[in-house]
Amino acid sequence: MESLSSLQIALGVLAQLLPVWVGLGITLSLSMYYRPRLGLYGHLFDSRVGTIGLILVLFWVLTALFADLIITHDPLAQISGMKNKRPGFPVRGMEGAFYLLGGDNLARDIFSRVIMGSRTVLSIAPAATIFAFMVGITLGLPAGYRSGRLDTILSFLSNLVLAFPVILLFFLLVTPEIRSTGVPIYLAAVLFLFPIILFVVLVQSRFYTQPTKRNIYVSLVLVIGFWAYSGLAFNMDPLGVFYMEPNLLNIFVSVVFVNAPTVFRIVRGLTLDIKTRDYVAAAETRGEGPWYIMLWEILPNARGPLIVDFCLRIGYITILLGTLGFFGLGVSPESPDWGMTINEGRKLLSIYPHLAIPPALALMSLVLGLNLLADGLREQSLKD
Amino acid sequence: MQQWDYDGPILEIDNLSISFFTRLGEIPAVMDFSCVVEQGKAVGLVGESGCGKSTVALGVMQDLGVNGKIVGGSIKFKGRELNTMTDEELRHLRGSEIAMIYQEPMASLNPAMKIGKQLMEVPMIHQQSSAEEAWELARQVVEDVRLPDAKRILNSYPHQLSGGQQQRIVIAMALMSKPALLILDEPTTALDVTVEAGIVDLVKGLGEKYGTSMLFISHNLGLILETCDDICVMYSGEAVEVGPIENVFDRMRHPYTQALFRSIPLPGADKQSRPLVSIPGNFPLPHERPSGCNFGPRCNYYEQGRCNQGDITMPALADDPNHASRCLKVSEIDWGHPPAAAVQTQSNKIGKLVLKVDNLRKYYEVAASALFGGGDTRVVKANESISFEAHESETLAIVGESGCGKSTLAKVLLGLETASEGSVNLLGKDIQKTLIQDRDVDTVSSIQMVFQNPFDTLNPSMTVGRQIVRALEVFGIGASENERNNRMLELLDLVKLPREFAARKPRQLSGGQKQRVGIARAFAGNTQVMVADEPVSALDVSVQAAVTDLLMELQRDNKTTMLFISHDLSIVRYIADRVMVMYLGHVVEMGTTDQVFSPPYHPYTEALLSAVPIADTSVERKHIVLDGDIPSAMDPPPGCPFQSRCQHKQQVPDNLCERELPPMKHMAEHHDLRCHLSDDFLASMIPVIQLAN
Repeated sequence: MESLSSLQIALGVLAQLLPVWVGLGITLSLSMYYRPRLGLYGHLFDSRVGTIGLILVLFWVLTALFADLIITHDPLAQISGMKNKRPGFPVRGMEGAFYLLGGDNLARDIFSRVIMGSRTVLSIAPAATIFAFMVGITLGLPAGYRSGRLDTILSFLSNLVLAFPVILLFFLLVTPEIRSTGVPIYLAAVLFLFPIILFVVLVQSRFYTQPTKRNIYVSLVLVIGFWAYSGLAFNMDPLGVFYMEPNLLNIFVSVVFVNAPTVFRIVRGLTLDIKTRDYVAAAETRGEGPWYIMLWEILPNARGPLIVDFCLRIGYITILLGTLGFFGLGVSPESPDWGMTINEGRKLLSIYPHLAIPPALALMSLVLGLNLLADGLREQSLKD
Repeated sequence: MQQWDYDGPILEIDNLSISFFTRLGEIPAVMDFSCVVEQGKAVGLVGESGCGKSTVALGVMQDLGVNGKIVGGSIKFKGRELNTMTDEELRHLRGSEIAMIYQEPMASLNPAMKIGKQLMEVPMIHQQSSAEEAWELARQVVEDVRLPDAKRILNSYPHQLSGGQQQRIVIAMALMSKPALLILDEPTTALDVTVEAGIVDLVKGLGEKYGTSMLFISHNLGLILETCDDICVMYSGEAVEVGPIENVFDRMRHPYTQALFRSIPLPGADKQSRPLVSIPGNFPLPHERPSGCNFGPRCNYYEQGRCNQGDITMPALADDPNHASRCLKVSEIDWGHPPAAAVQTQSNKIGKLVLKVDNLRKYYEVAASALFGGGDTRVVKANESISFEAHESETLAIVGESGCGKSTLAKVLLGLETASEGSVNLLGKDIQKTLIQDRDVDTVSSIQMVFQNPFDTLNPSMTVGRQIVRALEVFGIGASENERNNRMLELLDLVKLPREFAARKPRQLSGGQKQRVGIARAFAGNTQVMVADEPVSALDVSVQAAVTDLLMELQRDNKTTMLFISHDLSIVRYIADRVMVMYLGHVVEMGTTDQVFSPPYHPYTEALLSAVPIADTSVERKHIVLDGDIPSAMDPPPGCPFQSRCQHKQQVPDNLCERELPPMKHMAEHHDLRCHLSDDFLASMIPVIQLAN
């Protein structure tokens, strides 16, 4: 059987991505239609940079969502005779099947691996960013609002974490010796507590004037929070819904740990600025508690810069995950992690360039999309 | 480029139209604007925010940014068309022939460069002078703007100077190249009144000394009267009335100008017998202007079918060719007719004692270095032995400039700070040592505050209704969500806002409307004492009257005690029953409004009174300009706090003022002042403001 020509490969890839194109079309046309009512998201389409960023990000999100429909082969299956084969090479023994982007060193389909790799990245990066934000917000608000000694101590600690070389820290956290001491679990136990604290305080400060409502909401938060907590941090969920592999937990915790201090500093700085506003003084003069002021008066008005940083930070964490994979600290040795795939391809780069280029392009386009999106959001939030 | 000789008017603006191009399409900011600035004359441009006055200035500078564009008309400077000049030619003109002075002095100076260097740049770039010549010129100009110790000033950085000194430097920089035209955009708005008086005095002298023509932009009619020869009143992008200043002030011929004058508190206005008349409605947004006359919907003389049709031109008046008005009915309106008698009101009897402050002191300790603790701590004496009483239904005005301690006093009253000494008694309860979180809900809700900046007083990400409901929740009012919602709607009615506003976000409201929401929120509980911190000073003139009225009405209905903090003596005279004048943490004079506004004065009160510009040609003011700036509260002068700037200090023998803090002198019933001047001297003082016949 003949190999595919370049044109045929391109057409084949585009055809495989059909679910993504459909999804993209629907999302964008709906967004355009309801644009005037969508606030900042709607304004995003006024900026060309922002629109391009949004499309790139949406492309990868949808790819991760429909990955099962898109892949042509099992990303982990090795088919004999396909080792390091050129893009468009027909699969031996299967009529009309091709390795669209060629085969890798272990004779697996690169196209399917890249597509599946998006799932790993897009499930860890945003979740880790959200956790880093919750930790940073819970600590940054009181540091900025209260200032004084609390601020000094927290700022010092965050500087300490930031001063430590990130890669070294990761190597430490993932080495078996450290893992056997249980440090990552303790770290997870501490870090995963912050979201619960944040939500409890959020509800308590808002509804303390209406005790019945408050009790319902607080207990709801506590039940769900500790249920998820027991599963994620200690793998002891009685119902088995929440679960995280030990390897994944390690990476997740480390990523949150190194990103939280930066978020902390941003939130602290924004709080220092916003706390001088009259509406904060107005809340103080009507006797509001400090947590209400921090969470309901200050935080919502800091959202602009935080949203922008959120996008940038997902991109940054994506690169970080890639780097970790590259150094062999990936989620699992076999997983189609982009960073890991690049590292494997790197060894044969001079002979078989097609091994490393697709995952590298994928990583680049996602991060580029996130950065452009952040730029667009910043530009639009500064207007009017 | 050489300065060419030219005899005609310095600046001729003819039918100028400027538009901004935005998401919403073309938004006209200035339409069909004409104006002439003659050599050596000053023209005042007056109007409310958003009327396009600053856009005109930027248009003259040809600096409208990426969105702005001149879409019609011409701007001629010394007979040469500016609209068609190249960037190169304009660069030669800006800063050398035309100079501009902005509102914020700190934003106009480069914080990383010494003053001298910044000033020297001007002649070095435009006249290719040598560094020595430039330095000499800089020194001379700095002396011309009446700054002491020119050498030290030239060697300092902008942040080492006070606001008033910075603004003088900005003016000096504009004068370095001896420009033919000076554009001043609200040059004194960011400054204190007594400092403003000094700047105004300086600006007035410039025209005479340098022969500079001026375009003076301000929202303050009094200031324009003081500085300008001609005036141009703008409304919503159009000039509505132009003419020589006396003609316009004494014989105004446009309903907007008239309404504007009726809404500002001039001497003679009185809250009971001659209340202010506010202009109904709101300023139209640029893309929502009505057809025909822009002022039509708010005008008393509006005629359906006539005023809302076609373009309205601006002909000169038949009896006064220099004076023009953009009004169709100019010859039909009876301009001398007094305003329709506004509803006269009866204020409540002043009732029982509500708030008693006795010998209150508030000191702050400031560490010399925040980073390493230790070192010297310095004490800032924000409030020194303040004593006063306030009664039910009474308005007590607290007057003073920045740094006088009025905000600290408010903080102590509200429980954001505790007093260092002395007592604050609210409704029989001592609260001087109780911070707000330790106060019970009743105490908290009984003393509330209205803030100065309407754009900052509401949380921008919460709906208006939600913010009021929250106050009700905290004060424990209403048993259910529904009850609170209804109460919130009632509060909106009370401050005369439509109920639909409950669902709006603050950014959809105008400044005056936001301030009303702030007032509604402050009256949510059982408010007995209202601390109003400059509640109207950030609002446009036409809105000020309405908000002031609202405050007084709520006070009448609720028998509230109002502490009205302000530096604006015109509004204080209008609204207050008693006045307390503060300077550097001390109360220097206290008395009923009449007592404070007539002699004998404390020298500071006298200076304050003379510093406030009054928009009335028939008023004659004694002219007192204080030296220097307000001293820092970190480092107050010894003896009397005011001695470093006092105009009568030499009347007191033996340098007593520099050695001893004067005692509170009892002048008459309710009237006290803190001064060493002899009774004879005080008795011989003449009134600062006199109405000529």
